[in-house]
Amino acid sequence: MVLKAFFPTCCASADSGLLVGRWVPEQSSAVVLAVVHFPFIPIQVKELLAQVQQASRVGMAVLGTWCHRQQEPEESLGHFLEGLGTIFSHEPWLQLCRERGSKFWSCKAIHRQVSAAPDVPSEDQVMLIFYDQRKVLLSQLHPPTVVSDHQDGDTMASTGGLAVVFDTVARSEVLFCSDQYDEGPVRLSHWQSEGVEASVLVELAKRASGPVCLLLACLLSLISAASGCRLWKLWPLPFIRSKLSTCEQLRHRLDHLTLVFSTQKAQSPAQLMRKANMLVSVLLDVALGLMLLSWLHSSNRIGQLADALVPVADHVAEELQHLLQWLMGAPAGLKMNRALDQVLGRFFLYHIHLWISYIHLMSPFIERILWHVGLSACLGLTVALSILSDIIALLTFHIYCFYVYGARLYCLKIYGLSSLWRLFRGKKWNVLRQRVDSCSYNLDQLFIGTLLFTILVFLLPTTALYYLVFTLLRLLVVTVQGLIHLLVDLVNTLPLYSLGLRLCRPYRLAAGVKFRVLEHEVGRPLRLLMQINPLPYSRVVHTYRLPSCGCHPKHSWGSLCRKLFFGELIYPWRQGGDKQD
Amino acid sequence: MCAQSITSTKEAKWQKVLYERQPFPDNYVDRRFLEELRKNIYARKYQYWAVVFESSVVIQQLCSVCVFVVIWWYMDEGLLAPHWLFGTGLASSLMGYVLFDLIDGGEGRKKSGRTRWADLKSALVFVAFTYGFSPVLKTLTESVSTDTIYAMSVFMLLGHLIFFDYGANAAIVSSTLSLNMAIFASVCLASRLPRSVHAFVMVTFAIQIFALWPMLQKKLKACTPRSYVGVTMLFAFSALGGLLSISAVGAILFALLLVSISCLCPFYLIRLQLFKENIHGPWDEAEIKEDLSRFLS
Repeated sequence: MVLKAFFPTCCASADSGLLVGRWVPEQSSAVVLAVVHFPFIPIQVKELLAQVQQASRVGMAVLGTWCHRQQEPEESLGHFLEGLGTIFSHEPWLQLCRERGSKFWSCKAIHRQVSAAPDVPSEDQVMLIFYDQRKVLLSQLHPPTVVSDHQDGDTMASTGGLAVVFDTVARSEVLFCSDQYDEGPVRLSHWQSEGVEASVLVELAKRASGPVCLLLACLLSLISAASGCRLWKLWPLPFIRSKLSTCEQLRHRLDHLTLVFSTQKAQSPAQLMRKANMLVSVLLDVALGLMLLSWLHSSNRIGQLADALVPVADHVAEELQHLLQWLMGAPAGLKMNRALDQVLGRFFLYHIHLWISYIHLMSPFIERILWHVGLSACLGLTVALSILSDIIALLTFHIYCFYVYGARLYCLKIYGLSSLWRLFRGKKWNVLRQRVDSCSYNLDQLFIGTLLFTILVFLLPTTALYYLVFTLLRLLVVTVQGLIHLLVDLVNTLPLYSLGLRLCRPYRLAAGVKFRVLEHEVGRPLRLLMQINPLPYSRVVHTYRLPSCGCHPKHSWGSLCRKLFFGELIYPWRQGGDKQD
Repeated sequence: MCAQSITSTKEAKWQKVLYERQPFPDNYVDRRFLEELRKNIYARKYQYWAVVFESSVVIQQLCSVCVFVVIWWYMDEGLLAPHWLFGTGLASSLMGYVLFDLIDGGEGRKKSGRTRWADLKSALVFVAFTYGFSPVLKTLTESVSTDTIYAMSVFMLLGHLIFFDYGANAAIVSSTLSLNMAIFASVCLASRLPRSVHAFVMVTFAIQIFALWPMLQKKLKACTPRSYVGVTMLFAFSALGGLLSISAVGAILFALLLVSISCLCPFYLIRLQLFKENIHGPWDEAEIKEDLSRFLS
């Protein structure tokens, strides 16, 4: 069996001493974490290891000796190092040696199996793997989620072994806290963060974050308590709130902020990443919102917008009027029922008339309303976009009304026709057995049914045309709203912090490792350099995606077409019935 | 020894059983196989005049459609006042209603358990709905071209004749569908008439001739076959007369159709019966003759 020794690159130039680390018997690999220098007292080394083990819960042990021959080879040192093996008993005992020039390394693993041959220590083949302690410490391994069938157990075992190595290094962070220049009882050599003294600002921020978080959490809980007040649960308010995307977005953001500023510490790195992602998303959102605000409030853009809004609404209403007049004629040579056509057309025209007068009633106040709405952009771009979506919904309320009337009428016709067609054939729908059964009807039932069937058949094209036209208009509005919601969702869910981390510090998010061969000669241990493979961007987004607002229905295309055909109403928001899924 | 064995195999008789090993191939049958062949055991012998009598149902239905179309034509041309038609229809319906109970002495009514109040309600529903919807019917097909309406009506009336319950036991028969098709056709045709009163009277007449008249006919045929033959003749001649007043060629063709259905078709059927070769034998599928319902319950 090949023994793998993971050796930190930063210790390559350290003085001779003891190798301290963890022995993983399953993978037969030794993870070297630090080198203890001479002189030391064995009891103190053992005490230090016990302390670290207690703090990090990693089985620490002295794995072997490290010998760095800078001057002439000393015979006495070699003997001394061999003697150490009897003090710190470990199976197998590693003997790592570096010659003067950095070229020559030697490594031996000695088994002192008492039963087999006590005098002749047996030797194993050793593979020396160098790793960058800092990168491994800071990186977070993402094991492959999808294991295809042809990959057998070896792959799993190797990823498991890697995970153990990463885990060991990450958990023994306590060991790296001790400084090289400290006058401790034991001198250690390992990776050290440079310039701890310079990061006063970081320290200050760390100190200040506690009280700031507490204060903000108090404020947020106050706001959420106010929003949870019973006054808001009176009848029409919850209904309106569930239909306005602004309210949904505000609640979503409130949840985010509550989570970010909660005083509890993040338990896992994933949770920490999530918090950071949320914070960055909120900050970016607010920054974009402030930019929008400054753009809107400079050079009276709001006034221009308000002046443009009323003519646009008027124009839309006029276009609708033209459309209705076209429908009331004989559009595209279709066989429409004239009487029904006239009735429907006049009804809708009257509706538009009402709408125009409403807009004109509103027009003096629109500028002030827009000004106040513009202020909300300081809460974030997403909130402003949600408000825009709501304003579009309110301004196209007449289209929504037409759509609902058309859809209801059409739905009634379709269902009436389908059941009357069954009556026409002498069948009926059996509710208990969920199938069509034959049925004997009375004479008067047959007569009335057929009369209604004939009337509905001849009136269907008229209704269907009105339904089609208004559904297309409605779909246009829904598409615009959907695009805005997509944009809002993008800002809400994109893990910006993780993406930034991936961009600037690729090793922090590891997908796996690759090995580069440093030296491969017969009679010498194989030396490999372990390098970290960064996680691809798609997986970063997939793994760290924030939960979306969840107020949009998930229609498949098939169900959408079915709903459209049967005249069921489609909504851009989630309905009560869908929430159970 | 050898000769003896040959004679023994020859003597071994073939049996139609599967439980014994026999020295014959699997597909072997002996001469007795065709002894059980029988021909035409279920074929019926028809009497010519009985068939002619039965064909009168078809004649009646053809005449009904003809009369309906003729009346519609008169209405469309404005030769027939709707009030007159409505009055005649009402009077004949009342007469038929009285006759319906008189023929079997009220037995059918007792059996079905239908009260006169229910009849009145049905009649009221017919009249009220037709009258209420007649303005709608009038404007219903304004934008649809007349040819489309005619084609649709012809199609529906043909469907009515095809699916009508002439007393045959077949899967295609559906009295509901046939009645519905006739009403559909009548509504289509009524929507072409000049005024809504016309439409109302036309649809009412359609109900009388397509729904009520076959019921009376059925009862007449069952109780008094002689008078049924007379009524059929009368009805056929009146239909022919009506058609004659519109077009002579149409009347002649219709008369030929009626004659061929009532006289030629039965003759041809009986002639064809002679060529019937229906074989039955032991190869037939097994048939369960016993009533199994007592095991099922």
